[in-house]
Amino acid sequence: MIVPIGPIHPALKEPLRLKLQTRGEKVIGAEIDYGYVHRGIERVMEGKTWQKAVYLSERVCGICSYIHTQTFTETFEKIAGEEAPLRAQFLRVIANELDRIQSHLLANSTYFNTIEHETLFMYMLSLREPVMDAIELLTGNRVHMAWNVVGGVRLDAKEVHLKSIMNILDNLESQYARYPQMFEHGPLLGLRSKDVGYMSKEDSIKARAVGPIARASSITEDLRTEKPVYKDHLDFNVIWRGEGDNFARNMNRFDEVTESIKIIKQAIENLPEGKVRKKVNIPAGYADNRNEAPRGEVAYMIETNGNLIKNISIRTPSIMNIDACARYMFKDVATVADAVATYASVDPCIACTERVTIIDEESGKVHEVNGLHNVKSINLK
Amino acid sequence: MSSVIWYLYEFARKGWVENFAGAATDREIVESPDRFRDFPEVIRELCIACGACTAACPSPAAIKLVRTNDKDAENGEGITYPVINTDACIRCGFCAEVCPTDPKTLRTGESHLIREEFTILPAEKMFVIDDYLCIRCKKCMKACKVEDAIIEEDNKVMIDQSKCIACGECAKTCPVKGAIKGIYISNVEGQKDVINLVIHTLEDLIEAKQDELKDLPPEQIMKFEVPFADILEEAKGMLPEEEQIRDMVEKVTDRLKLRIITWNDSKCNNCRLCVDDCPSGAITYDEEKGVQRDANKCLRCTTCYQTCPFGVAGSYVARFLLTSTELQEDKIMVTVKPALLPFRG
Repeated sequence: MIVPIGPIHPALKEPLRLKLQTRGEKVIGAEIDYGYVHRGIERVMEGKTWQKAVYLSERVCGICSYIHTQTFTETFEKIAGEEAPLRAQFLRVIANELDRIQSHLLANSTYFNTIEHETLFMYMLSLREPVMDAIELLTGNRVHMAWNVVGGVRLDAKEVHLKSIMNILDNLESQYARYPQMFEHGPLLGLRSKDVGYMSKEDSIKARAVGPIARASSITEDLRTEKPVYKDHLDFNVIWRGEGDNFARNMNRFDEVTESIKIIKQAIENLPEGKVRKKVNIPAGYADNRNEAPRGEVAYMIETNGNLIKNISIRTPSIMNIDACARYMFKDVATVADAVATYASVDPCIACTERVTIIDEESGKVHEVNGLHNVKSINLK
Repeated sequence: MSSVIWYLYEFARKGWVENFAGAATDREIVESPDRFRDFPEVIRELCIACGACTAACPSPAAIKLVRTNDKDAENGEGITYPVINTDACIRCGFCAEVCPTDPKTLRTGESHLIREEFTILPAEKMFVIDDYLCIRCKKCMKACKVEDAIIEEDNKVMIDQSKCIACGECAKTCPVKGAIKGIYISNVEGQKDVINLVIHTLEDLIEAKQDELKDLPPEQIMKFEVPFADILEEAKGMLPEEEQIRDMVEKVTDRLKLRIITWNDSKCNNCRLCVDDCPSGAITYDEEKGVQRDANKCLRCTTCYQTCPFGVAGSYVARFLLTSTELQEDKIMVTVKPALLPFRG
């Protein structure tokens, strides 16, 4: 029997149709329908200058909006063969990690909502609120920050602001430790989470899962380790676990928050002096660039004629994670309620997942551009 | 009934009246945090109507320049200032960043403290609508960033030059080539020289081919190409920028239609009809030399062509097109064809 969930459903944050194949109450498979919130942001960006497109890139994702502008501007810096000033790079690290903290807390809160543990759900959201204030102190806005530009950042952080961000983080750190423990040792939470929605390492490689979802299945990849500013100036560990179930995915996110707090503190202490922005002359060219978003790896491929964007392709992490969820995690889930919890545990973000579909008019062939594509290989008229 | 009395009593309470009269909006109650970027604040008096804010704004229809109607006693006209549409504004603060006035007209959060040069448009051009080519689609009116800068009067679409900020948005959206023209304001004399140069060079080139034209059958046309580099070389002394020259030549060749008069002496029977008809006195009669035409005085009115019974004068029309391909050098394509005027001979 097929149990449809969505596209509009109280358990889902965003519209998506889950068709669960069930035998009795047991879920043995799932099919996923996309296409309810496709916006065609890439097409809108074509033929615009970067000043007008950077705000659109921010609106690709509503939760991890920061990393999209950073990747977008870094791609343009790569085309120009230049780098932002070191202070700007450090400030970008701080904002990125703050954004990661709030995104992970929100993801965990939705998970607790789906397993109907409303106390932790509320705790998570109240923990998230000071982090949002810290983001606002640093960048001027809570979600869509409009802070990154090609060649640096728009507002310099003053000593006062850095100090109050440090205070917020100190408070967060002192309160924070008890919540992962509640989740780790709570017997009811364990029953709902442990050994539910298991995905093995082989399966996660096959499904190309990324981010905390892959790291919960013993994959030790983190793109931050390859970024020069993280590699040279900051000291941090890649968090990974071996269980591969809902519990591991949430614990992985919990632990990454602590790691992010550590990174921010290091970055604030070692923040170099200097300018935060410089002028970059952009030549014609093509570049691709990847970054570690809260949900995994986000990639931008941009072709420009020096002024306008000729061609752009964005790949967001959620598409692989949702596919991994549908194909491998739903193999053997005890109840439908657990299936919804499993779906929430992969931190799905539908709005940023809905990407381009190219339909060839002559042959009627549908060409989905979901994975990593070289934009030049697609022959658009 | 009792509920009505209760409501009457409730509304008549002193505290209720006080609360009602002193009600504060959300904005007044909520304290805005440090570094909060609100909607831009506009100080009308400082605006210079440069249009930098409208050009920089990434959100469609969020900012528009408006001109007041009330007459100012000193200047004799109202002031122009930006108006923020709070439904569309995304509060990025880019308008405040690019605003070139000192102190800034637009202020928001801390963004207005930054001074970076971005997309400030210099008003090099003046935009006009060619009524002959305009198809009245009104796309330019929708695209215009300034309120009432493009107006419709008596079924004619016109640009109000006192309001236009020369952003060029209308020319980009116009579907007809050449219907909206950006005319350079500076170097007017130089521009005239370039126009004359282009016309004279092309005319001379065609008239040099008189022998070929004379034998041209009426059904056929003659085609040849003139390299653009030749004209560019000469025009460089008249206008400083190559881009401007190219723009001028493109505009000239786009609409230019040259009349060419050929003169075939061998057919002339000295009837002297043309000498009397010529309005400018370019055709003269001498007993020794016969009938002669002075090309410098000629107006190309084609009266001689229509008068002559022997077909001495020939009339041709030439059209031009400036091609720009990446593979080849730029060329001016010339097409000459016989005029379709009534001919007596």
